[in-house]
Amino acid sequence: MDRGERRGSTAPGRLSALQQQLVWALLGSGLSRDVLVQAAGELERERGVAGGDVADKVGGESSEEGDEESPPPIYKELEQLPPEEAARQKAEVDQLLQEDPWHVAKLVKSYMQQHNLPQREVVESTGLNQSHLSQHLNKGTPMKNQKRAALYTWYVRRQAEINQQFTNAGRGLLMGEESGEDVRKGRRNRFKWGPASQQILFQAYERQKNPSKEEREGLVEECNRAECLQRGVSPSQLAGLGSNLVTEVRVYNWFANRRKEEAFRHKLALDVPFNSQSASSSSHTLSTSPTHDMKYSQQVTSEGLASSGGHHGDRSVGERLTVSPVQLEPSHTLLETHHKPASGGGPLPPVSTLTALHGVSASPAAPQGLIMASLPSVMSLGEPSLLIGLTSTQPQTVPVINNVGGGFTTLQPISFQQQLHAPHQQPITQQFPGHVGPSSFMATMAQLPCHMYSKPELSPYTPSSLLSQAMVITDNSSLGTLTSLTAVKQILSTDAEDQSEPPIQESSLHLSSSPPVPVSSESLELYPASQPVDDQPPHLLTSSPTDMDPYIPAQMVSTAQ
Amino acid sequence: MHTLAGKIQSLTAEEREHLLPLLRNAQWVEVVGRDAIYKEFIFKDFNQAFGFMSRVALQAEKMDHHPEWFNVYNKVQITLSTHECGGLSQRDITLATFIDQASVF
Repeated sequence: MDRGERRGSTAPGRLSALQQQLVWALLGSGLSRDVLVQAAGELERERGVAGGDVADKVGGESSEEGDEESPPPIYKELEQLPPEEAARQKAEVDQLLQEDPWHVAKLVKSYMQQHNLPQREVVESTGLNQSHLSQHLNKGTPMKNQKRAALYTWYVRRQAEINQQFTNAGRGLLMGEESGEDVRKGRRNRFKWGPASQQILFQAYERQKNPSKEEREGLVEECNRAECLQRGVSPSQLAGLGSNLVTEVRVYNWFANRRKEEAFRHKLALDVPFNSQSASSSSHTLSTSPTHDMKYSQQVTSEGLASSGGHHGDRSVGERLTVSPVQLEPSHTLLETHHKPASGGGPLPPVSTLTALHGVSASPAAPQGLIMASLPSVMSLGEPSLLIGLTSTQPQTVPVINNVGGGFTTLQPISFQQQLHAPHQQPITQQFPGHVGPSSFMATMAQLPCHMYSKPELSPYTPSSLLSQAMVITDNSSLGTLTSLTAVKQILSTDAEDQSEPPIQESSLHLSSSPPVPVSSESLELYPASQPVDDQPPHLLTSSPTDMDPYIPAQMVSTAQ
Repeated sequence: MHTLAGKIQSLTAEEREHLLPLLRNAQWVEVVGRDAIYKEFIFKDFNQAFGFMSRVALQAEKMDHHPEWFNVYNKVQITLSTHECGGLSQRDITLATFIDQASVF
């Protein structure tokens, strides 16, 4: 059999002619490329790699004939070739450990972004805590050396793996691709669109929402090319993209999802009349979701919350807060409302809109120091840009003060959830006039008129606790310098001491006529015990007023509803 | 070659009358002394030959019907017959057709 010994010429992509034949045969037998690739990885795992690519690691030339010619080990080490590569990688890890951690973190992060690697993979393979990892990479939160070593080890290893993938891209069988992933996750990483590809797709989407198969295939090529370029690799090295390789199916799904998304948005827009008073209007991120749950936002004014900026929760006294009307509900409700599809809507909206919604609705739910009102007709906080001094972190809390004299045109009923865990704290509910004007609702510290606090009904309670639940709310005109809390405190405590039982009444629980929303156990509520301060009869919240040994000094006086 | 279906039938005379001429045109010859067909394929080199064989093999497995064959370098000799019925059956015809297709590059 002399003829049998002739070597196959180097085939394109370094595949021998026979290999090509075999691959072709496999593909022709009904195997899809993906299945073939995947199977190859699995088999390799089971049996080890025999063949030329191992020679790469050894450093020798990779021979087309594979086993026969070069002496590569038959079984590829699971992770790397022990002696040389391991040493090299360890040295690199050590070097990284010497560098500035933040600098290396940026390096790692950018590599992950470039190759679209999920954090989850790192977590699974290093055992690091994902939150810690994220904070370390994004914000520079310190990480101990041992953990950084684990991270860098993964980084170096993964880098080697990807480089290998790219160099082997020409080969039909993508060996080694799975090795890093199989052990971790059951299968490969979840596919993720890269920014470059998405850009291409969006542009194409604008041209045509429903591309044909040929067009999709064209987009596949374009996207893969872009992704390779992003990784600094020649566009033909597709294998290196690994699980993020763009295929027709992905493109098809992408277009389908975008179309569904658009239809959904369109539907929302039709079904729900966009209430300008709703909180969500002010929530700039909620572009797709009008607030439907109007039941909670009847008296809500849409605020320029978005315009006012973000968190003010921790601002010290004296700053202006813009509070957007928000449905103050336990967070879950808030989430719920945002997520609820339009009235006629059926199932959940397409995935991506959900993502957007999540981002928004989640925020008001857990802002630090956000005090959520639990009143129904309460402003919903689109963003946690709420109340000064209401953060539990702040030692000084601001009593909520309604500046009676100032006119409450912009005030709205609010009740808060106290985030402190003080025992008998009751929520401060404040009712604001229902006719909330277009002006933003401002919550600030304002000078407290003393008279407001000289209520005989103040019961003796520690001022601090009182104060902790107070919020100062005034309208625009009365914005001004805030008195120090201590001043208020003093006033309040004085009052408190003077008082006997009856709870503070004008404290302001002037609730709107709408049924009070059940308050969570931790919410603070201020009930006007008996006589209203103004003419307005206070409405009691669900929490019984009797519990109000209100140490809430802050008198929230509400004007006309 | 085990089939779970009913016993495989040998080709009827009518079918033979119809099909064998076609096969003969494709260079399949009837084997002397047995009810089988035979053809020889020659390829450019071993790789092509073996690639061809691989394709046929995959199909054979799929059909659960295997050829008798011989290969030396670039030559492949194939004999098709059905053991269960002791002669030609529809499967042989199907496989022969596939083989012819697979041999074309």
